Amino acid sequence: MKKHDWIPVFTVLLSLILGIVVIALLGKNPFLAYYNLLQGSGLAPKASYAGHKGMLTDFTSFLNALTPMLLASLSVLIALKAGLFNIGVSGQMLAAAFVATVLVGYSGLPAVLAKPLVVLIGIAVGALVGGLVGFLRHRFNINEVVSTIMCNYIVQYVASFFINVFFVDPVSRQSKNIGAASRLTLVDVTVGDYKMDIPLGILVAAAAVVAAVFLLGKTTLGFEIKAVGCSSRAAEYAGIRVGRTRVLAMMLSGGAAGLAGVTYYLGYFASMQPRVLASTGYDAIAVALLGNSSPIGIIFSSFLITVISKGSTYMSSTAGVQAEMASALTGIILLISACGAYVRERLDRWKENR
Amino acid sequence: MNTIIIDGLSFALPLFIMAIGGIYCERSGVTNLAIEGLQGFGAFCGALFAVCIAPCFAGNSPVPFYLAMIFAFLGGMLFSLLHAMLCIRFKANQVISGVVINILAMSLTEFMTKQINASIFKAASNKFVLGVSTRITVPGISSVPVLGAVFTNLYPFEPVIALIALIAWYVLYRTPFGLHLRACGDNPHAVDAAGIEVGKVRLVAVLVSGALSGLGGICFAYSISANFSSNIYSGYGYLAIAALIFGNWKILPTLGACLLFGFARSGGYELVKLLEMPSSYQDLVMVLPYVLTLLMLVFFGRKNHSPRALGVIYDKGAR
Repeated sequence: MKKHDWIPVFTVLLSLILGIVVIALLGKNPFLAYYNLLQGSGLAPKASYAGHKGMLTDFTSFLNALTPMLLASLSVLIALKAGLFNIGVSGQMLAAAFVATVLVGYSGLPAVLAKPLVVLIGIAVGALVGGLVGFLRHRFNINEVVSTIMCNYIVQYVASFFINVFFVDPVSRQSKNIGAASRLTLVDVTVGDYKMDIPLGILVAAAAVVAAVFLLGKTTLGFEIKAVGCSSRAAEYAGIRVGRTRVLAMMLSGGAAGLAGVTYYLGYFASMQPRVLASTGYDAIAVALLGNSSPIGIIFSSFLITVISKGSTYMSSTAGVQAEMASALTGIILLISACGAYVRERLDRWKENR
Repeated sequence: MNTIIIDGLSFALPLFIMAIGGIYCERSGVTNLAIEGLQGFGAFCGALFAVCIAPCFAGNSPVPFYLAMIFAFLGGMLFSLLHAMLCIRFKANQVISGVVINILAMSLTEFMTKQINASIFKAASNKFVLGVSTRITVPGISSVPVLGAVFTNLYPFEPVIALIALIAWYVLYRTPFGLHLRACGDNPHAVDAAGIEVGKVRLVAVLVSGALSGLGGICFAYSISANFSSNIYSGYGYLAIAALIFGNWKILPTLGACLLFGFARSGGYELVKLLEMPSSYQDLVMVLPYVLTLLMLVFFGRKNHSPRALGVIYDKGAR
């Protein structure tokens, strides 16, 4: 472990303690509430289960929710390595999922064809939107923070328009459900005595993390991305084509976001809600930060954040703490982790003075 | 035509006041992506106060609305302290701080709204119902053709915003403090050398931004949504950021951008109504301001100059 790798652990602990105080002030049992979070995520046994359900059912459902979060954080992380802020992960997710839904989701292709096609379209569309942002930055000097925010809204409203006009389900007011063949999550599979959802996307996510570790650690492109992120001037002086590297980094980031999109809308869910962007893309920014901006780190951080959000329903029904407490807790964790740089600096100074 | 002007103005002005806050913040060198969260938290404080004191007043009394505005102002300011603390004291990355504050504001207000409704008002509801504020028409001027529409069916917050905007313009461009603030965003070391504390100026700028964002938020809550709920987070804050970048970090061009957004929106809605298209076509209209912003940035972006020290953490020792 490197010198400061434990700082995120420290910030998480601090926020969990804060959470204990808040829940206790509300007059509820904080430890029970935390244990409920674990139970709701399938990491601890519940007191009782409905028929064909068990800890394993909860756990696969948890993995199902974890997949898009992990991929979205990976997307933010890749852009961050090149010194770019991809605030548009949510938009890229929706764009990729929308195209995949329309082209494959409603097509009735057999599963063997449909599932890989969904993944490929997800990557391609995400990379296209991400690449556009990178290109605008390179060619027209438009700050990526602004262009990604604009892209988010454009994608959101355009997708919403098409969903409402062509693909709406009159009952749910969402887009029509996609066919089971193209869904990246196998729903209601019977394993032994249980019926569970099996997310195939988690395999894609694992592969993406491995690919990112390899790309950033072992390839020339990875090195160039990191060099541009550290100092674009120094990188330029060293002969790296900064603009091209930025566009490529944004394409990779968009590709990961597209993957997150298809695992979210064509896996975890089977439909899209018009006029709503998933908050995953915004949460992912902070999750990437909490994971110390390393591909391995974000596995832990997205795991933690998903436990909190996934377990919140069970917590509110059992411990009587409002489910929104979970997202507030997430917010506090992210807030404290944003101060990580300060803690680091303080520690360094303290060591120097000693 | 009149509806376009009336609705356009009532959307553009709250946007404008939030954008002015953003200009203060960014001209002092602190990136502010937190406007979305600040306006939501401000609106939350104002709405909470209005709901609490509502029983003391008659149903159509405007007093709770004005008090709500004051509390939204203070609430936004209070929450922006967090942004100031993170960016100035703790030297956190300003973009990350903004995003985190948005997430935190969203989750906190949602949680507290539910909790307060459950424990104080004994109702399982996730919103505070406010109603739409009464509107005023200035007699006389309002009968002038076209221009009169500006003075017709005004929300009471519109003149207030116009007044605050004037003051904000004067302070930023015509007072020593405004000069220091703008200098902090371009050359903080010079400000420091002149014996003025960069951190303090930036703190004030962030607080102003929070207060004005909160004000904008409560105006939206009292006009478009007529309640406080998580619907308040539908991107007005980000639109304000777009407006101020579009306006090249200057107050007057930003007003132009806000008016453009407002009229594009209300005009689009009218067009959809006029052509008797189904309401889902409104979504295409909603795209307009964002596409416009991107296009304008593509064509005129090179002339745009963000403050030079924007987003750079001030370090006395750096040169």
